[in-house]
Amino acid sequence: MRTRFHPVLLCLLFSAVATASTASSPMQLAREIDRLINQQCAPELRAELVGESQYIRRATLDLAGRIPTVAELQDFRNSESLTKRQDLIQQLVSSADFAFHQRNELDTLLLRRLEHNDNWRAYLLEATRENRKWDELFRQIMVPEDDEDHRSAAFLRKRISDLDSATNDSSIAWFGVNIGCAKCHDHPLVMDWTQAHYYGMASFFKRTFQTRAGSVGERFDGSIGYTTTDGDSRKSEFMFLTGTKLVEPDSELEEAKQKEINEAIKKSESDAKAPPPPQPQFRPRSNLVRIALADTEQNFFARNIANRLWARMFGRGLIHPLDQAHSENPPSHPALLDLLARDLREHEFDLRRTLHAIALTDTYARKAHAKDPPPDELFAGAIPRPLTPHQFSLSLLIASANPTEMQGLSSKQEWNQQREELEQKSESVARQLEIPDDGFQVSVTESLWFSNHPQIQNEYLQSGGNRLVGSLLRFESDEELIREAIQAVLCRDPDPDEMTAMLQYLQNKTERRTDAIGQIVWALMSSPEFRFNH
Amino acid sequence: MNLNAQPSLNRRSSLNRRSLLRLAGAASTATLAADMSSIEALASPALTESLKQSGKRVILLWLAGGASQLETWDPKPGRLTGGPFSKIQTCVPGIEISELLPKMSSRLKETAIIRSLNTKIADHGNAYQLMDTGRTPEPSLKFPHLGATIAHELGQRDSQVPDYVTMYTSTEGRRQGTAGFLGGRYNPMFLTDQMMPANIKRLDSITEIDHRDRADLRDLMANIFDRKQSHPMYDAHNSAYDRVRGLMASDHLFDIEREPQSVRNHYGPTQFGQQCLIARRLAEAGVPFIKVARAWWDSHGQNFETHQELCADLDHCMSALLDDLKARGMLDSTLVITLGEFGRTPDINGSLGRDHFASAWSCTLSGCGIRGGSVFGKSDEDGKTVIEGEMNAGDLFATIFAALGIDHHKEFMVGSRPIPIADFDSEPCFDILA
Amino acid sequence: MQPSNLHELAKWPCQDIVFCAAASDDSRRLWIGSSDAGVYQMDVAEEKPQRMKLSGEGHSSYVTCLTRCGSTLVTGSYDRKLIWWDTETGQQIRQIKAHDKWIRKIISTPDHSRVISVADDMQCRVWDLASGTMIAEFSDHPPMTPHHYPSMLYAVAVSPDGSKIATGDRVGHVAIWDSKSFETIAEIETPVMYTWDPQKRRHSIGGIRSLAFSGDSQRLAVGGIGKIGNIDHLGGPARLEVFNCQTGERQLELEDNKLKGLIEQIVWGPDDAWLLTAGGDNKGFTSFYNPESGEMFHQEQHPAHIHGLWCDAAYENFFIAAHKQVNHWSMAEKEA
Repeated sequence: MRTRFHPVLLCLLFSAVATASTASSPMQLAREIDRLINQQCAPELRAELVGESQYIRRATLDLAGRIPTVAELQDFRNSESLTKRQDLIQQLVSSADFAFHQRNELDTLLLRRLEHNDNWRAYLLEATRENRKWDELFRQIMVPEDDEDHRSAAFLRKRISDLDSATNDSSIAWFGVNIGCAKCHDHPLVMDWTQAHYYGMASFFKRTFQTRAGSVGERFDGSIGYTTTDGDSRKSEFMFLTGTKLVEPDSELEEAKQKEINEAIKKSESDAKAPPPPQPQFRPRSNLVRIALADTEQNFFARNIANRLWARMFGRGLIHPLDQAHSENPPSHPALLDLLARDLREHEFDLRRTLHAIALTDTYARKAHAKDPPPDELFAGAIPRPLTPHQFSLSLLIASANPTEMQGLSSKQEWNQQREELEQKSESVARQLEIPDDGFQVSVTESLWFSNHPQIQNEYLQSGGNRLVGSLLRFESDEELIREAIQAVLCRDPDPDEMTAMLQYLQNKTERRTDAIGQIVWALMSSPEFRFNH
Repeated sequence: MNLNAQPSLNRRSSLNRRSLLRLAGAASTATLAADMSSIEALASPALTESLKQSGKRVILLWLAGGASQLETWDPKPGRLTGGPFSKIQTCVPGIEISELLPKMSSRLKETAIIRSLNTKIADHGNAYQLMDTGRTPEPSLKFPHLGATIAHELGQRDSQVPDYVTMYTSTEGRRQGTAGFLGGRYNPMFLTDQMMPANIKRLDSITEIDHRDRADLRDLMANIFDRKQSHPMYDAHNSAYDRVRGLMASDHLFDIEREPQSVRNHYGPTQFGQQCLIARRLAEAGVPFIKVARAWWDSHGQNFETHQELCADLDHCMSALLDDLKARGMLDSTLVITLGEFGRTPDINGSLGRDHFASAWSCTLSGCGIRGGSVFGKSDEDGKTVIEGEMNAGDLFATIFAALGIDHHKEFMVGSRPIPIADFDSEPCFDILA
Repeated sequence: MQPSNLHELAKWPCQDIVFCAAASDDSRRLWIGSSDAGVYQMDVAEEKPQRMKLSGEGHSSYVTCLTRCGSTLVTGSYDRKLIWWDTETGQQIRQIKAHDKWIRKIISTPDHSRVISVADDMQCRVWDLASGTMIAEFSDHPPMTPHHYPSMLYAVAVSPDGSKIATGDRVGHVAIWDSKSFETIAEIETPVMYTWDPQKRRHSIGGIRSLAFSGDSQRLAVGGIGKIGNIDHLGGPARLEVFNCQTGERQLELEDNKLKGLIEQIVWGPDDAWLLTAGGDNKGFTSFYNPESGEMFHQEQHPAHIHGLWCDAAYENFFIAAHKQVNHWSMAEKEA
């Protein structure tokens, strides 16, 4: 049933959630999150909390982008601190790993592999290292010409040749709104989005062009004409998703001046050494940023990123799918989403704080239900998530290393350098792997690759002394060997059944012990337990 | 690898796995369903199963870049738009095709020609999307390509062979194809620079027995994990690994050296011919969908020279394929499609080329479920518009599904939204169905 | 007659594609071959010349080539036929199914006793002009390319002294024949002209499209297209190679990247003072080269791809057969 969304209803929806109050510390925010989740989830539905091995694996994957090392696992288990989970989270969000991981996540969100751009990735890394605020990134990326540094222009540059991509991708990435359907007709299912919205958003990008020097600029004029489904011809207005319109001030340029400007723009498009093109007084993209940040009512900008961070940690958004923020698809927990969005605004869009708080919640620390899980949107238990390409590739490198040479955060001095090397080393495999989306399934392309590609044998199963397989060879006790292998790869202790099977496996192949150890490691790395965050 | 040894190898493998499971005390050994994601068909499971057992196959000859209908299936000699080539009478009275397809002219009894496609979209990227999914894209939905849908409908869960193979060796216009919302299980096995799939051969550094044993050990680990928690994504992961050994055992299917010389000669020496032969071998072994893409028909310049070259390839290879399928009794169960992203303009440009054209163009369907020797639809005398039997991409897909016995009204549930297998409001063209 | 004087006297737009043209000695009458299968006469001396279709059974496909010997016109077509016409009566005299595939080119010997045709059956055939009987057939051109696709035989030329015939095919192979014995006397390879793209598109588009002997019959110019970046269009350099017929040595290898496309026609100027190439991609070009240095000294862009070009013995009148137009040019001094 189609219902046009009523403005009054809209106000109600957004004001009804004002009861949740924001908090000062991440821990207070975490408590508030748990309270709001638990309001909608009866205690008997909630899964119990995970044990410490699973907790450190989950949190390290989510905040450091990799599995924990054996040393980190042991340190965590051996810690007698009463606040060891909080301590771990604090350590992770402050680590060098966090900046790398956050960079990789933002790169995936914003560029979606349209290109691999080292300069852009270096820019993002600088930003995540200093925990640059999200609104600041938004401004830099959407108005890159305001900076001498052109690296942030990659987002627009990859899309500006196609106005539809620039419009829809920007709208999805920054506001969680997919308005692609509204281009040709008012959205068939969602009455929020009309053609006027689509072309209103597109207007902000219509004047953008790419300079040869690698940045972008804006022309002094340009609008879009379109035809409605009724056949009427319309001229687009600058209009944000909220309906806020922008009126362009009248400006009459003398013909000579206009010509001069056009020539300067033309030159900047073809000549990398040309001076930056002149900037018009009226700058649509800059205004879009201003309007979007000023929208505290519907709060698209803040709610989108809050929702995306939530989804990253839980495998599902409070609004789901993540690009369907509209009245027909309300959040599962309106007050919670509002709380997170408001908290972000009140703390200068500090994404690290939000992730920190989420990681401290009980909701985050729940097990997955063994069977018959309650609906996902209750967040009553963990929803498994496939490792991202970078998480998977990095984790393979860590798991396959000699554990004594891969200390992680347990050896603070050397780790930053080592982590940087791992990051580089993980790139080539990461780029081959599919970015998981909703309904992701591991394909036979991956299972064949993992079964038969020389790289697996030569990289991850190599028996040199700096590798896991090589280090396992030195164990005299098979049981100890198996324990170490499972800790290194799966970050836990062996199950008795596994121990029995693996002992038998080694005994059956005593004449090819090195091979057999490699095969055990392969079996662990190719297991679903390794491939997913759970 | 010894082919004959394969069945026993599999038996041993499964026995071995069972014994390991017993050892581990695993309670549940249920086979892992391939499609346990949110995508559940609403059609009758029994019907679906019997269809999967029916051994129906599709071979799609993809004419990448867009072949000219005027130089193939819908000639207009004597018109200014018609180009220099004449038309020839086929073995079916009343049906004439371009003289560039002399071999096909004597083999039209199993083929239906559709001359009335009006698909409107005439840029490569979007037209490819349209003709590979049978509908216009929606930003929030990833539609599966035809091959993935067919693999889903006709592929058997425990199949030892791949169920969607794409060959696209030239680099221009190469697009991989995706399973979209059906999930990675149905993504194609994609052959690009080589005619042997990547990573299908066991490395010399591991023995056959060890390769198998470690796969069994992996199974065991997966099953122990399954006792602690289960999820459709884990099932798909396990399914992908379960299929590895079957896929490896199918490497011989890609090796045309195993065909008698006479058969190889029949298909001829071009790469397209060799790929058509591989397609036949795959179809024979039970692969439900094979796409052979022949680049590159995008003849903006020198259309007639291009078609003299490429039609010769198409004519020979398509004829050889149909002959071979027929001789093996497979044509009744194999649907052969020729299709590209669009056709070409009736107007001839200054480079003696034809440009992109989606308003009145042609494709063919041969074999399974098709009333051969038929023509559907009609374009005007200059080939500029459809004047009879206009058909869009959705209708074409519905026709393809109907020819294979797949209910074109069948729906997938994607989240809470039902998505029909062929686009909304599409209808099969019964005139060309057997 | 200076190439830089070349200027347009008249332009006759049309709906069809015009592939070939030849005029009367006095350049007052013109015959053209069309994509509508017609052969037409135009009285170009008139202010608004009308097209008059020559009568007879005629062709049934593109008329790709023609040659005039006195009052006899011989035309060739994709319909595999050669047709003899009487230019005085405008009537068809004779038709011959001359080849098994599409006829690409027909020329006449300097003494006008014979006509020579080439076609995609890869045969070169010599015909007695008066009787229409075939005197000889020969080929040094395989029917299939090295990549197993049908080859094409696009070009043929006869030397001004009448002693040699040259044929050139799609893969860039040229054979030079003794015009009495019809034995090969030389072979020349121009492999770049083939333009086979083995990776991106797996197809070719080029081939030798034009051949012309120098006035002293010692040199052979070969025209086509160079390596193409994008085979979908004619996006490659116009390519010209000049060889010494005796030694087979290549004397010039020229590529023009400014006005791109196929060289469809080559004309040697008086006393071999210059070489004119004409052709094009989506548009047309005419380029003049110094045959000694290879320097291009004059070039014009033409709005349409040039398929055929005819000039009179004095190099004064030029008629252009092009995509949807026919043009009359002059190289004489412009009248004040």
